[in-house]
Amino acid sequence: MKTRSKLIYPVLLIAAVAVPFFVESDYVMHTLIMSAIYALLTMGLNIITGFAGQLSLGHAAFFGVGAYASALLTLKMGMNFFLAMSCAAGMAWVMGVMLGFPALKLRGPYLVICTIGFVQIMHEVFLNWISLTRGPMGIVGIDYPPTLTLGSWTIDFSIPLNYYFLVLVFAVITFVIILSLLNSKLGRALKAIREDEIAAECAGINLTYYKLIAFSLGAVFAGIAGSLYAHYIGYISPDSFVLLESINILVMLVLGGMGTMIGPVIGAAGVTFLLEYLRFLAEFKLIFYGLVLMVVMVVAPGGFWGFITRLGFAPPGSKDR
Amino acid sequence: MEFFQHLSSGIVLGCIYTLFSLGLTLIYGILGLVNFAHGELYMLGAFLALFAVATIGMNYFFGMIFAVVMMAIIGIVIERLCFRPLRGMHDTSVIVSTIGLSVLLQNLAIYVFGADPQRLTTDLTEVMVRFFGLAFSLQRILIVVVTVMLILLLNYFSKNTKTGKAMRACSQDLTAAKVVGININRITLITCMVGSALAAIGGGLVAPLYLVSPVMGIKVVVKAFAVVIIGGLGNVPGAILGGFLVGISESIAAGMISSHMRDGVAFGILILVLLFKPEGIFTKRIQEKV
Repeated sequence: MKTRSKLIYPVLLIAAVAVPFFVESDYVMHTLIMSAIYALLTMGLNIITGFAGQLSLGHAAFFGVGAYASALLTLKMGMNFFLAMSCAAGMAWVMGVMLGFPALKLRGPYLVICTIGFVQIMHEVFLNWISLTRGPMGIVGIDYPPTLTLGSWTIDFSIPLNYYFLVLVFAVITFVIILSLLNSKLGRALKAIREDEIAAECAGINLTYYKLIAFSLGAVFAGIAGSLYAHYIGYISPDSFVLLESINILVMLVLGGMGTMIGPVIGAAGVTFLLEYLRFLAEFKLIFYGLVLMVVMVVAPGGFWGFITRLGFAPPGSKDR
Repeated sequence: MEFFQHLSSGIVLGCIYTLFSLGLTLIYGILGLVNFAHGELYMLGAFLALFAVATIGMNYFFGMIFAVVMMAIIGIVIERLCFRPLRGMHDTSVIVSTIGLSVLLQNLAIYVFGADPQRLTTDLTEVMVRFFGLAFSLQRILIVVVTVMLILLLNYFSKNTKTGKAMRACSQDLTAAKVVGININRITLITCMVGSALAAIGGGLVAPLYLVSPVMGIKVVVKAFAVVIIGGLGNVPGAILGGFLVGISESIAAGMISSHMRDGVAFGILILVLLFKPEGIFTKRIQEKV
């Protein structure tokens, strides 16, 4: 069973590489790129919530910090895209540590509300620091990453297909990093913290250290996703980084299956496409979406992947366990 | 004088937060779930009051009663269909599910009532009362009076009736309450009914003062979480004191310092509380048992 579930990784990768070649419309291509960006975000949140068990609704703030940092560094300082992205990831890392510190003491609903407060604060900062972020007007004219020349190959990122592969490369790197972390001491420590914090502490796991690692690592991937998002859409405003965005990311994670490797990827792509294809429902779209969330949580708290494999870890304490 | 004017509007704001947070903290105390959909109950209460007054043509008093009764019924339905299946589940599932409920109710409201903000006009908002040089509209006085009455009523209910005592027992220990023969399902049902009715009263009272819109709940719910945490989750007197604390300090900070401060104050207090006394100002510290 275990090996069979590992077989799916290359299958998924091949599918992710092959799919865009069968896509003809720009609209579907756009949805694919957004799915890949959301997959990055969801995988980051999976470290915090899925593996370390710290329920967080603060992910949109890291996403926003990454987007703003990258956009401002390229626009105002003329920095190269890839350098700006690294800086954005670094700033998101700092933010992750900043959120991680107060979160160390908190649990359950207290932690969730603390992270909600964090998103609200960052939203206010984006909105009111007008000299830097232009406030509600947002930042316009963010360029695509510069054309990359590899020998005789030139890769122009303003072509959606190329941008998709750029995002995919980052998503695959993230996936591999998380996968290898998961099987290391770090991954086992995080899972121990998730299952029982007190027992983990008694076993000699340094809670402070590992929780901060989880938060900062999740934030770094969100920062990278933010940078990719800003340079793809070309326009960012504070409205893109609100609590609803955090909720969306959490929903992708939970519907896909928390604490699994495949779950976040499937969840991100599934929800992104679901929301696009439910457009025919018009005003019923979000009503239906809310209903799906309610029902899935009762019927399959382990999410889609947990439901399918039963290998996925249902959240501790749930009926599914 | 200006200070007292801000103080009085702070008290009104505090009343609203209190009514809202009472339901939230009751539901947490007894069902053990953080209800992210509570803001929608408040919003629906306001819309039902508006509907009763503007569309059916009731007067404001009967409109409020209509809204409260309807919301009590909706509270029962929500408990039965959403909260009860979630009992005993992990926090994550509960939170995502109530978020789903919130999205559902909010968009249902947009579909039924429309997305545009609407105004409920009553006679009470126009009447101004003056004393000691301060001006109040009658509506604001009504809010304070109703809130104080409800707090007293709730206090009487929980101390002197059998159901009230059972509710307090459940909030202390659900299993122990079950052992001594309390019908838990009945108590959770009543809790949701009361919590939802309180939110509806808050919504209905606010409707003539501010605009009624489908997103009005979200704005308040985040603040109410702050209030509830400041007072201690599940702590009823804490929610009342926390509500007034946040309402008054918000109003004074907005009036005396800068209106940009308004939204920051609640979270400022929240952060301080979480840093120094995370179980809430008004709750005794309990060591976690292993």
